[in-house]
Amino acid sequence: MTRFLAALLGTALAAGAATASAQSITVALNADIRSTNPGVNRDDNTDAVVLHMVEGLVGYRANGSVAPLLAESVERSDDGKTYSFRLRQGVTFHNGAPLTSADVLWSWNRYMDPKTDWRCRSDFDGRNGLKVEKVEAPDDRTVTMTLDHASALFLDALARTDCGGTAILHKDSLKPDGSWDKPVGTGPFRFGEWRRGEYVTVARFDGYQSPPGDKPDGMVGAKRTALASVKFLVVPDASTAKAALASGAVDVAQVLETDVPELNKTRTVEAGFYPSTTKHTFLFQTRDPLLGNVKLRQAIAASLDIPQLVAAVTNGEGKPNNSGVPVTSAYYDAVQAKGYTYDPAKAKALLKEAGYKGEPIKIIANKRVHVPSFNAAVIAQAMMQAVGINAQIEVLEWVTQLDRYNTGNYQMMSFSYSGRLDPALSYEQFSGPKDSQPRKIWDDPAVQDLITKVSTISDEAQRQAIFDELHKRQMEATPLIIFSNGQEAWAHTKRVQGADPWEGKARVWGARVVGN
Amino acid sequence: MLHFVFKRIAMAVPTLLIMAVTVFVLIRLIPGDPAALMLGDLATPASLADLHERLGLDRSLPVQFGIWFGNMLHGDLGTSITSNQPVLPLVLDRFWISARVVLIAVLLASLFAVPAGMIAAWRQNTATDLFLVGTATLLYSIPTFWLGLLLLLFLGLQLNWLPVVGYVSFSEDPGAALLYIVMPVMTLFLHEMGVLIRMSRASTLEVLRLDYITHARAKGLSESAVLWRHAFKNAFGPTWTLIGLVLGNLLGGIAVVETVFTIPGLGRLLVDAIFARDYPVIQGCLLFVAFVYVAVNLVVDLLYPLFDPRVTAE
Repeated sequence: MTRFLAALLGTALAAGAATASAQSITVALNADIRSTNPGVNRDDNTDAVVLHMVEGLVGYRANGSVAPLLAESVERSDDGKTYSFRLRQGVTFHNGAPLTSADVLWSWNRYMDPKTDWRCRSDFDGRNGLKVEKVEAPDDRTVTMTLDHASALFLDALARTDCGGTAILHKDSLKPDGSWDKPVGTGPFRFGEWRRGEYVTVARFDGYQSPPGDKPDGMVGAKRTALASVKFLVVPDASTAKAALASGAVDVAQVLETDVPELNKTRTVEAGFYPSTTKHTFLFQTRDPLLGNVKLRQAIAASLDIPQLVAAVTNGEGKPNNSGVPVTSAYYDAVQAKGYTYDPAKAKALLKEAGYKGEPIKIIANKRVHVPSFNAAVIAQAMMQAVGINAQIEVLEWVTQLDRYNTGNYQMMSFSYSGRLDPALSYEQFSGPKDSQPRKIWDDPAVQDLITKVSTISDEAQRQAIFDELHKRQMEATPLIIFSNGQEAWAHTKRVQGADPWEGKARVWGARVVGN
Repeated sequence: MLHFVFKRIAMAVPTLLIMAVTVFVLIRLIPGDPAALMLGDLATPASLADLHERLGLDRSLPVQFGIWFGNMLHGDLGTSITSNQPVLPLVLDRFWISARVVLIAVLLASLFAVPAGMIAAWRQNTATDLFLVGTATLLYSIPTFWLGLLLLLFLGLQLNWLPVVGYVSFSEDPGAALLYIVMPVMTLFLHEMGVLIRMSRASTLEVLRLDYITHARAKGLSESAVLWRHAFKNAFGPTWTLIGLVLGNLLGGIAVVETVFTIPGLGRLLVDAIFARDYPVIQGCLLFVAFVYVAVNLVVDLLYPLFDPRVTAE
């Protein structure tokens, strides 16, 4: 029996050796990608894989600012409405064709065609406030885009990963009938194979021209890869992913934060925490009869020992942050760092002022892996109950909770927002008119005006002043409690170095295999 | 016999139709909007409206049902909301993957469990009986996900005998494919063996109490002849029915085992579709599962007379 198994094992090992050769690695995904069509049918896993193959005119740096990517430079007109992108020289697509402004024009027109179903079309056609009125290619290396009004967030919108980075694609990405085939982009990897439900493989693009830099910086910086190929393997179960890391079947995987100490004790795996601009929050429904009372919301804020809560849900790795500005942002300053103070006595006094009589307050949470929703709710419940608040938890499946979020049908909710690198976009996520958008949390016309203003102006000092003002107002009104930004736990085998994720997504162009 | 088959098929048609309507209505009663889920917290009213239109979710429910039902009658189960693939080929692809694991596991479990149950009954109240019943109870009580993870850790990680993750199809590399399904098959085999041993033992005990068995022993037949020539056929009937039910149940989805062992099977497809509110896939999967259940039990009923001639097709 043992000899039989050994013979079979030999077959498998031989088959496996081919993929484990020199510079090939395997990255675990917790779900299959949805498509290879950038920004059309996507989720985080899809973005992570696709952005290894495609690039846009601009991309995010690690600190959330936007830098040229396929563009060599970006110039803005004095009125802020016209952007000129000068393309980098020598860039080619995976099929060898050189990148020209005609390709940019073609890609843009395709995105703005309703048949493409690009999810970000409404962010550029005027329906969400901004309209790109004209896109022109005056020469082979120049593209100009003219907006209907000045916007500080135009480049951010182009760089957004959920928009596929507004990737510039070659026409060969489509079949002759115009339907999607596969991404022919300019990225460091080209598309290999997609076995639905199993894996996606990508191979190094030897003709890749990297943007300047000596190391990866968000979606920009040095992107030339030492890897020959990458296999993104679908591993839905966290325990299986852990076993796969320990056995070496997988080189990189997101793990549970509670597994980090155990993995670091193994000889072959290293695990750690990586920041993201995800916001972990407690939302309040300010139109609820109970939570419409600002004193009650402030009482809840005072009842929470946020540093302790954050330490508990992040295994001690997280940093408390009550601001809509991510801690990694250049706009995070001393004003943003001022948050709520844990003060049970003050909480009780505020409860009295609010006339609270012990009515139940239901906190909705979900038990998704990799988000602290439920754990945070449990800790918050205990802290709230300690000051006399009758906090109860209702656990819902994620889709159901999202439905309640979108309809505003809740009192309090433990909710995680996906990352938004520019603070204006971060505030926009939870601020707005509830009448037209019931999912919005902070309905304050004066705040809306500030957000509109900070979305328009580009002067950093002016923007900082507005973010500071927004933060102060948020602390006072307490429409929600942001308690921290994301700290994602990732692990890699010691044979691989440089595979640091970014914004919760696998990013392996900077990785290399250092041993076997 | 032919009349029986046609009658059963005719009965299956209204069953499946009722199932189709019930599934359509029930899954739409579950809170959650697939378009909102796809867009997440980045959804704007405009992007949501665009997606609703593309997915046909802006139409009224009766219209959606009419379109889906009409297409279904032509064998078109629609297109997946999440992957944009046609549902029927997707379901069939995934079904064959699950079916291989299930059929091998149930076959092996039956081959081991039926004789084991009969031996336990023959040796009732002895150490052999206690051991077999105890083992069966233990195997049946262990949750499959835990059993699977234990096998993964022991055979995959500790001993490094078997691959921990991944899947290879038989058409690609039969040798490697076999390695990848050993642990999922073992998980199901061990769990179902527990169920089948107990049923086999119970039905054998009943048969061994009958007069004709006493008569056979009185004639001087050996115990093995009594068991296998006389008791087996009568005792196997109820176990055969249970095998049919187990097979139908497992073929409908072994989502937990598929998740632990990263097998892209039907169970995982259904669970992922439920979490994503992928209505066409949920409807397609459930209809297909109902069809498989009906078909498997029809085959079981047709083969029953082979073991017990007293039971005719009627």
